[in-house]
Amino acid sequence: MNVTLKESSLEKFFNPSSVVIIGASNAPFNLGATICKCLKEYISYRGTVYAINRAGEAVCGCDGFTSVHDLTEPVELAVIITPARVVPQFVRDCGAKGIQHIVIESSGFSEQGDEGKRLQSEIDEAARQYGMRILGPNCLGVLDIQSRFCCFYGAYPEIVEVFDKPGGVSYIIQSGGVGVLLLESLMTDVQGPHKMVSIGNKSDVDEADLIEYFNRDGTQVIAIYLEHVGNGEKLMSMARRVSKPILVFKSGRTAEGTAAALSHTAGMASNDAVFESACRQAGIIRLRSVGELHSMPKMLTEMPLLRGNRIAVFTNSGAFGSISADLMVEAGLALPRLGAASRELLAKIGGVFNINNPVDIGPAPPQTYLDIFEILLSDKEIDGLLLMSSIWREFIIDVMKELVEMCKRYDKPAAIYTPNSVARILSVRKEFGLPLFDTAEEAVRALAVSHEQFRYHRKKENPYARNHQESA
Amino acid sequence: MQEIIKKALERGQRALSEYDSKKVIESVGIPVTREKLACSGDEAVVLAEEIGYPVAMKGCSDKAAHKTEMGLVKLKLTTADEVRKAYDEIVGKGVELDGVLVQEMVKGDREFVIGLSRDPQFGPCVMFGIGGIFTEVIKDVSFRVAPLTELDAEEMIDEIRMKKLLGEFRGSPAVDRKQLVKALVGIGDIGYKHNEIAEIDINPLIIAGSSPVVVDALVVLNNPN
Repeated sequence: MNVTLKESSLEKFFNPSSVVIIGASNAPFNLGATICKCLKEYISYRGTVYAINRAGEAVCGCDGFTSVHDLTEPVELAVIITPARVVPQFVRDCGAKGIQHIVIESSGFSEQGDEGKRLQSEIDEAARQYGMRILGPNCLGVLDIQSRFCCFYGAYPEIVEVFDKPGGVSYIIQSGGVGVLLLESLMTDVQGPHKMVSIGNKSDVDEADLIEYFNRDGTQVIAIYLEHVGNGEKLMSMARRVSKPILVFKSGRTAEGTAAALSHTAGMASNDAVFESACRQAGIIRLRSVGELHSMPKMLTEMPLLRGNRIAVFTNSGAFGSISADLMVEAGLALPRLGAASRELLAKIGGVFNINNPVDIGPAPPQTYLDIFEILLSDKEIDGLLLMSSIWREFIIDVMKELVEMCKRYDKPAAIYTPNSVARILSVRKEFGLPLFDTAEEAVRALAVSHEQFRYHRKKENPYARNHQESA
Repeated sequence: MQEIIKKALERGQRALSEYDSKKVIESVGIPVTREKLACSGDEAVVLAEEIGYPVAMKGCSDKAAHKTEMGLVKLKLTTADEVRKAYDEIVGKGVELDGVLVQEMVKGDREFVIGLSRDPQFGPCVMFGIGGIFTEVIKDVSFRVAPLTELDAEEMIDEIRMKKLLGEFRGSPAVDRKQLVKALVGIGDIGYKHNEIAEIDINPLIIAGSSPVVVDALVVLNNPN
């Protein structure tokens, strides 16, 4: 039952000094060529890129060879993007050549019937024989902002934009389509990604290995899109050891329990219910939509954690005050009555319609906003803030910038939603780097996520130790 | 426990009888009903008087996973005559039995379920929730992957919708949570340490006063035969 990890580091998948793209050619619509083009032309990867194709021709300025054996310089990473049937032979060639890290982007393996399964086991066999690490098959590859490396096939020139905005969130995705959605969405967000890796059929490297890897690099938040869990115990034990936030959106919620089970328990134990429980036990935050993979991390990278559930709402619209009150209760957050001291201070400021929670103001100058932030954040009975003020004057942007700084000082978070059009929110968020949420629901959810992460911090412990001791 | 499981596996059993299931469950410190196996009507009467009326009687066999449906359960028996008659009826069903279980009737309105199942990815999982005959209809249950910490057990108890039933209820005292936590952790440990046990149903777990008591149980084995 013990989880053993291979010693080999995953670093070379993200930061190789040289890479060979097996299957890159000058044929029309060749996918391997898009990788060469991205590395050479879009992102100016600093290492050497080689192409392997039948003609041995150069592709997008990358030297071409007919076989891996013909490479004259050592290569750290191989990316294979050829028809599935020839992949096992290329993997063996790489092994013989001493290439230890292979990304297999080709599809047609365990996801496609018995022949595919057989091909995948041939790859596993070769990997074992040569001690190689395999990413994939059936994956999109790897993206690393810092090392300026990306082997996603089909990358388009706009991808350069994410490289200009490095961030702290590393993504583990099982499907390439989700990766594209995330990258595009992050272009209008506070931060771009730190790294992104697609795991596909995960014949070797899986989500647990990558959680461990991201725990040691500059990643601040680990966000995962998962279709199925390979080894649940390994995932849980790894997640328990990691204090960085781990966010997971998993599809397949509707799968039912084993119909053939003898006991009623087994009949009721759906895989989804078990996954949900595993997340709570191991300190994994379970997300509710694909969208939360890019909307939630900024609450964790830009703001301190929410240490309690008592929230003060501050709005310039009575409507949003009551909308947020409903959302807050649903999210398990409290909207306490403010203490006498805070109410007294608020009463002294002109233009406050409601000195209770939610605090509601009319048209007011910037200093009023700052004074109210100060009163609410310094209140010992308040753990965090929900700001819902529309950007009705440009100075709102300045007071929001100041709020971000004040939150750091008081070690309390604020979730910010400006009741403006989504287009306006996105443009302000992008231009000024403010952690704005698209909707009131998202902002309230972000507070709940932040508090969940805070509680996980306290409970990470390892129950396996107890059992191993007893049985020893 | 090891002995019971070993014998059952050797005999090619798919499950344990109620009697043996409870022995396994009791071994991790979970209270079960007072009960004994009778092999004749007269013996059943002696045991009933020892346990005290009213008693329940159940045909005991590893092949009787659905005893009620098979007519192998007689409840609230209050006299020697009723016990003799129940014995004859149960034996008369023609099911191969280890004997007839004579069991105390536990008084309590609150029925819970504790279970163990195995998830293909996460392994042994403990379930807790509302028990009784409507368990699967009400489906108010929570899960945790084994092994469980005491905190895991506390959390899963609080996750059910009808958790108010655990507090003071219609004149009954609040449920002894410590015992409940111990039971959940114990079942998880059985699952984590004994791969030969595939599934467990404890249903109902009746709250007698404030203490949970296992009234019926089924242990399903992972029998390679």
